[in-house]
Amino acid sequence: MKLYKNKRILPYLQIAPAFLLIVGLLGYGVFNGILESLQVDFSWTVEAYQTLFGNSAFWTSLWYTLYITFVSTMIALLVGLCLTHFLYPYLVKDRWKAVIWVPMLFPHFAAGYLIVLLFSDSGWISGLLFQSGAISQLSDFPNLVNDTNGLGIIMTYVWKEIPFVVLMLLPVYVQMDERLKDVVLTLGGKKHDEFLTAQWPYLWPTIIEIAIILFAFIFAAFEVPYLLGVTFPQMTPVLAFDWFFDGNWDQRPVAFASMVVVTAIIVMLTIAVYSSTQKYRHRLMKGS
Amino acid sequence: MNLKITALILIFSMFLAACNSEGNGEPQTSKVPDQKWEDIEQEAEGSTVNLFMWGGDNGINRYIDDWVAPKLKENHDITLKRHPMDTNEFIQKLQTEKKAGKDKGTIDIIWINGENFKNAKENQLLLGSFASKLPNYEKYINQDKNFTKSDMGTDIDGMEAPWGNVQFVMWYDSEKVKNPPKNMDELKKFVKEHPGKFTYPNPKDFSGNAFLRHVLYEKTDQDPKLNEKDDPSWLEGEDEAFWKDLKEISPHLWRKGKTYPESLSQLDQLYSKGEVWFTLGFNEARGEGLIKDGVFPPSTESFVLDVGSIGNTHYLSIPFNSPNPEGAMVAINFMESPEAQLAKMDPSMWGEGMVLESDRLPKDIQKELQALNRGDTVLSTKELEEAYLPELNSTYIDWIKEHWLNEVVQK
Repeated sequence: MKLYKNKRILPYLQIAPAFLLIVGLLGYGVFNGILESLQVDFSWTVEAYQTLFGNSAFWTSLWYTLYITFVSTMIALLVGLCLTHFLYPYLVKDRWKAVIWVPMLFPHFAAGYLIVLLFSDSGWISGLLFQSGAISQLSDFPNLVNDTNGLGIIMTYVWKEIPFVVLMLLPVYVQMDERLKDVVLTLGGKKHDEFLTAQWPYLWPTIIEIAIILFAFIFAAFEVPYLLGVTFPQMTPVLAFDWFFDGNWDQRPVAFASMVVVTAIIVMLTIAVYSSTQKYRHRLMKGS
Repeated sequence: MNLKITALILIFSMFLAACNSEGNGEPQTSKVPDQKWEDIEQEAEGSTVNLFMWGGDNGINRYIDDWVAPKLKENHDITLKRHPMDTNEFIQKLQTEKKAGKDKGTIDIIWINGENFKNAKENQLLLGSFASKLPNYEKYINQDKNFTKSDMGTDIDGMEAPWGNVQFVMWYDSEKVKNPPKNMDELKKFVKEHPGKFTYPNPKDFSGNAFLRHVLYEKTDQDPKLNEKDDPSWLEGEDEAFWKDLKEISPHLWRKGKTYPESLSQLDQLYSKGEVWFTLGFNEARGEGLIKDGVFPPSTESFVLDVGSIGNTHYLSIPFNSPNPEGAMVAINFMESPEAQLAKMDPSMWGEGMVLESDRLPKDIQKELQALNRGDTVLSTKELEEAYLPELNSTYIDWIKEHWLNEVVQK
């Protein structure tokens, strides 16, 4: 009886340090944010949320943020998957791994600045084109940085996140049973059947996991859109930062409310995806 | 199991929240020292003073590190430590400390003005009325001047001491522009002839906002003057000409007005790279150091707009939980001394204008002041004085910020 009890409690004890850290720091922050968003002059009110949802700039910003996040995540996943799929025999070797890892060495802000140096109107590429006579004026270069479509932001995230996708997918490829591919071929399957039936079932749970991580990360990130964004529309975290640090402190609860909304979206999405794929993941883990 | 974890998290957070509110009693703040000045000076000797200030300008940093700090050490045995931090961030830091009831802080002096002062004062983040205790403030600063009474519409009540006066000017590259546009009609014509070569920072930025305040002056200049009304609500219905002109130039600006530089330093960068031909900002002497550092082209010249040039004052203050208010007062008093203010005007340092009355200064300092060459890009004192416009109430800053996105960018 005692042993049974201990066995039940032990995992909780083991997870306690990490749990305390996450709940203590992150949970407290979120909790405080929620509190601040619900208080105006020390009284409880949902006024901040009413102001927020009635603000057209917020909705534009939210859609814009969703669009950038979705596009960046998709491109990074697709390119990362292709790279791993076709190159993984090389990528397991340290030399090639190092090449792919390079973008991971840069902080996001540095990566953003690199994009500015390369792609702005007066950047290196536009300068090269100008020197070579391909464009007659520096300002003829298309706006790729600080543009309303968020291309600069997307480029930065794609460049930064591809190595992360590869990093996450490599172990899956390494662990995959090569014999399954042979089975597919022996049974008359084509090249793409090999991928779809022998590899995809192992890949997609990880891919979804990566997608959620990337989504949460890009959706709530501040520094890259701050550097590469435009005056309007702005990504939600930048908007919240502006509201928070605005000279007018009455806006602060609204800033918190907008971040609470962002957090809620991420949490809901994660719960939805995990709960719908949980069964499959279980089976996969037990089966292998 | 999920439910249990959720419950745990909730309980834990409530516990934390409770911890927080327990410490929320009225914090024991430091008080403005009320001894005689000599005693304050004696008390401050050998202490360390932590100065928190915006750190984005090399000239300003040089002035503090290479001139003020060594002199303060020499004269008063005070160690001055400069901490570069954005203004709204250290105000936020103080606000957090106030909430947490932290009565011994880490900041002794802050560099603020306008809205930041208003927020700090309204949230009781400042030590109290200390300015009139400073001998140099009493002796050299004209107390009838408006900048000692009101900081963009907020009553000062001695809770901050003036440090510098600056005026707003425009800079342009004289190699590319022969006759810079000086009013909205000329600007409209200019941007249509030279698309993409002009822009102004997003009015969230203090300098970008100041540019629009000049346009507001030009478009609504009437009696009584703008600055005498502390509430911009009267502008409703009177602001059409203002927004109409801004909308009209917008598509001809840098990036076709689809985006604006987020900060003055971004505009400076564009100007430095030649993407635009103009930049702007407070501190009429700012261009000197930037030309010397090779940031601005040597052909840079400055001018004031026809409507005039808004003068802005910035201040030093002491936070409510300063661990060393005596040292802070001695340091601020020193920074308001004639020699420190004169050194500040030197273009190789900071170059900005002084807050002292020139005819109250000692004779030798007056002579040096007359002999001082502020640099070729700086307009004459006479021209600047004639163009002088009083600063507007900070409520106008918010008004412009609030409406600009709707009126100009989203249309």
